[in-house]
Amino acid sequence: MIGAAPAMDPALPAGAPALERVHFQDMTVDFGATRAVDNFSLAMLPGEIVGLLGHNGAGKSTVLNVATGAVAPTGGSFAVDGVEVPRGSSPRAFAELGVTVVHQEPALAKNLSVFDNLELGRSRKGGRDARRHTARAVLSKVGAGIDLDRPVSTLSLGQRQLVDLARGVMEGEIKVLLLDEPTAALGAQETAALHGLIREFAAAGTAVIYVSHRLPDILDVCTRIVVMSGGRQIIDRPAAGITARDLAQALAPGISKPELTDTSKDKTAIELPFGSSRIQARTGEVVGLFGMASGEQFSLLEDLYGVGRPMTGVLLDGEAYQPAKPLDALRRGIHYVPADRERDGLLPTVSAKMNVLLPWLSHMGAGWWVGGAGKGMYSGSRNELNVHGPTGEEPIAEFSGGNRQKHLLARWMFPKRPRLLLLAQPTQGVDFGAKVDIVRALRRLAAEGTTALVASAESDEIASMCDRSYVIYKDRLRELRGQKVSDENLLESLLSLAAGNEPDPTTVPFKDSDRKQLP
Amino acid sequence: MSIEKIKIVLARNGVFGALILMALIFGAINPRFLSFNNGSTILQQIAELGIISLPVAFVVMMGCADLSVGAIASCSAVIAGYALLGSHNVIIGMLAGLAFGVLAGAINGFLVAYLRLNTFVVTLGFLNVWNGLAFLLSGGKTLTGLPAGFTRLGTFFIGFVPLQIAVLIVAVAAAWYILNHTAKGKQILAVGGNNRAAHLMGVRVEATKFRVFVVTGALSALAGMMLSAKLAAVSPSVGNGMELTALIVVLLGGIAFEGGTGRISGVVAGLLFVGVLRNGLVILGVSAYLQTILVGLTLVVAVALDKSIQRIIRSAWQSRARKLVQQDSAGARSLELVSPGK
Repeated sequence: MIGAAPAMDPALPAGAPALERVHFQDMTVDFGATRAVDNFSLAMLPGEIVGLLGHNGAGKSTVLNVATGAVAPTGGSFAVDGVEVPRGSSPRAFAELGVTVVHQEPALAKNLSVFDNLELGRSRKGGRDARRHTARAVLSKVGAGIDLDRPVSTLSLGQRQLVDLARGVMEGEIKVLLLDEPTAALGAQETAALHGLIREFAAAGTAVIYVSHRLPDILDVCTRIVVMSGGRQIIDRPAAGITARDLAQALAPGISKPELTDTSKDKTAIELPFGSSRIQARTGEVVGLFGMASGEQFSLLEDLYGVGRPMTGVLLDGEAYQPAKPLDALRRGIHYVPADRERDGLLPTVSAKMNVLLPWLSHMGAGWWVGGAGKGMYSGSRNELNVHGPTGEEPIAEFSGGNRQKHLLARWMFPKRPRLLLLAQPTQGVDFGAKVDIVRALRRLAAEGTTALVASAESDEIASMCDRSYVIYKDRLRELRGQKVSDENLLESLLSLAAGNEPDPTTVPFKDSDRKQLP
Repeated sequence: MSIEKIKIVLARNGVFGALILMALIFGAINPRFLSFNNGSTILQQIAELGIISLPVAFVVMMGCADLSVGAIASCSAVIAGYALLGSHNVIIGMLAGLAFGVLAGAINGFLVAYLRLNTFVVTLGFLNVWNGLAFLLSGGKTLTGLPAGFTRLGTFFIGFVPLQIAVLIVAVAAAWYILNHTAKGKQILAVGGNNRAAHLMGVRVEATKFRVFVVTGALSALAGMMLSAKLAAVSPSVGNGMELTALIVVLLGGIAFEGGTGRISGVVAGLLFVGVLRNGLVILGVSAYLQTILVGLTLVVAVALDKSIQRIIRSAWQSRARKLVQQDSAGARSLELVSPGK
């Protein structure tokens, strides 16, 4: 079991700051009235690999952004090799000190060649041949045998991350390496190669901060674990001896479970094949699909909405269902809320009201709906989700992020009640209050007979709203019911599924006694 | 009405303000400019341009462009001209012209919507194709001796309203109704604002684009024939340059090239602006070449001003939102004061 109090690494000798490669001291970051990072302190020795964990909004990315200079802290200091970086320095200044960051999606100029990308934004010294020679040496240092003239757009994600890393190496010695969800979209081989590389850098004295949702990856490569929650460090200890179970428990505190509806007697609303078994949901049930970041669960929702791969064998209320386009799904009462709502859902140029009503206008008939029915429908939807802000006639951009999200959820939940609601990370990126509002609205819809499938890579999100959940890893599946749908159980199931020691779920019989007891 | 709201209304309708100012200046220099007759002349002069500009406005709202409208107008006029000379039947002649417009629009729409080709490239290509065809068919000559039934349409009055103006008014009203009061209108804005989101909302993105291009082709053909009726002759260059003037009208009307926004009142303002400017310059005796230069410069100035106008609108919305929040929390506080207990 791990303690909840921040503990300094015992290996760190007191009063020897010269040894520290990186030092965050009493770092605080405020965004308006929100405190994203609260009094964060972290001292790292050369060669340490720190795994930084926490739920969405725990402050991990903000810590990374402070270390790259993308965000200026409100208080505290940041030092590399004992040299304090003045507050408000440009990202360029941080890079010159030896800080390199590799993002999940590297920011490279895709239309240019690998060589051009390595040189972009740097002063060129020497002849072309010499520079190409250096570039080749740098690439081989990061283990990427990539042709210098290859356009970046033709590289795989893993290769692009390596090019990003190579850009850091071009700068000189990498003293601090920051990795933001580096393996989220990588295969097993690429992950292993990246981890090998990280260990090499660490052995050469680089301090590494590794942010990830993937607990197995963290346990594989990190030497020290820091868990954040609500902007604070709640755990800081060496990785040796920590089990996945410990990590799952440490991440656990989430929203308490709402009252669930008893749907055991209702009929099956949707049934679809998955791997060697089936996923099903009863009418009025809220079923989670939990898996890795950018995992299979998200593709499943797209398939069901007719924007992914063609599906066969899906039964919707007992009838065959084969969507080819969103309209097919909409006609059957299936609504889809995508994960990236701003990109895939927001209509930035039209009013807030139209953002909610647009898909339903043709059902309301052409004409003067703006006045009567539309207004009532909009304000009704707003009340259901407790939206705050200006009136609906104003541009959607004038609403705060959380209220924009609520608008996009409202679009698919209220003007026309869905039979089956497909939600991808419905509470991602909203604050606690909005989360509660969204969960409440979803449970109300479920009570009225809407079936929901909630896909997420956040265990707390699934635990906070689902009656039942499937845990998905590649084509493997495990089911959790009732009170067993908890943060720890979800994470642990995912880990054991990923490790491959899982009995075939089809052999687990469906028992009603597994269903939670209702008050 | 709060100060912010007034600011927003003023900033949004800046073109109208500029329009009135310009009309007053022309009127001060030459009182004849402000006469009723001159007003009617201006409207007659811009009617065809307006009929092309309205669908082009929808094209731009969708995030597309149509550079082929002028060439479609020319080519339809030539085809209608030959059909009129051959059949001596006004209806057959005009249907032939319209059919060509629909066909040309459908080709644009098919290539842009279904094959996802770039609208600039496609319509730039067809600008040349249809211009070339118009000259090829007519041999570069102007067709005359059109049936009287057709040329009479150019001087026809409905009551005391010239036919062109009546058609323009109907077109403006229809455009306004479609944009503001039909699902299709909002879907066009959605396609322009966020293509993918529109698709996920069940909007048939391809069909929407296709239809808008077809209607644009048809109205371009109509405009080409109306101009020919007015001139009582068909010239293969009748629509020359209209694609650019229509874009100027649309951009003056505050419709952004990025797509997703636009108001019909803006298009009307842009149209009147161009009409008044040209007419005023003619009355002042400014040379045609200088006119072209001035219209072009006006566009650049207007787009530059539009940037700052957008900034004004944004900050006004924001300060309004801040005030509302303050009122909100002030209200909550006063409620707390009166509520008992706690």
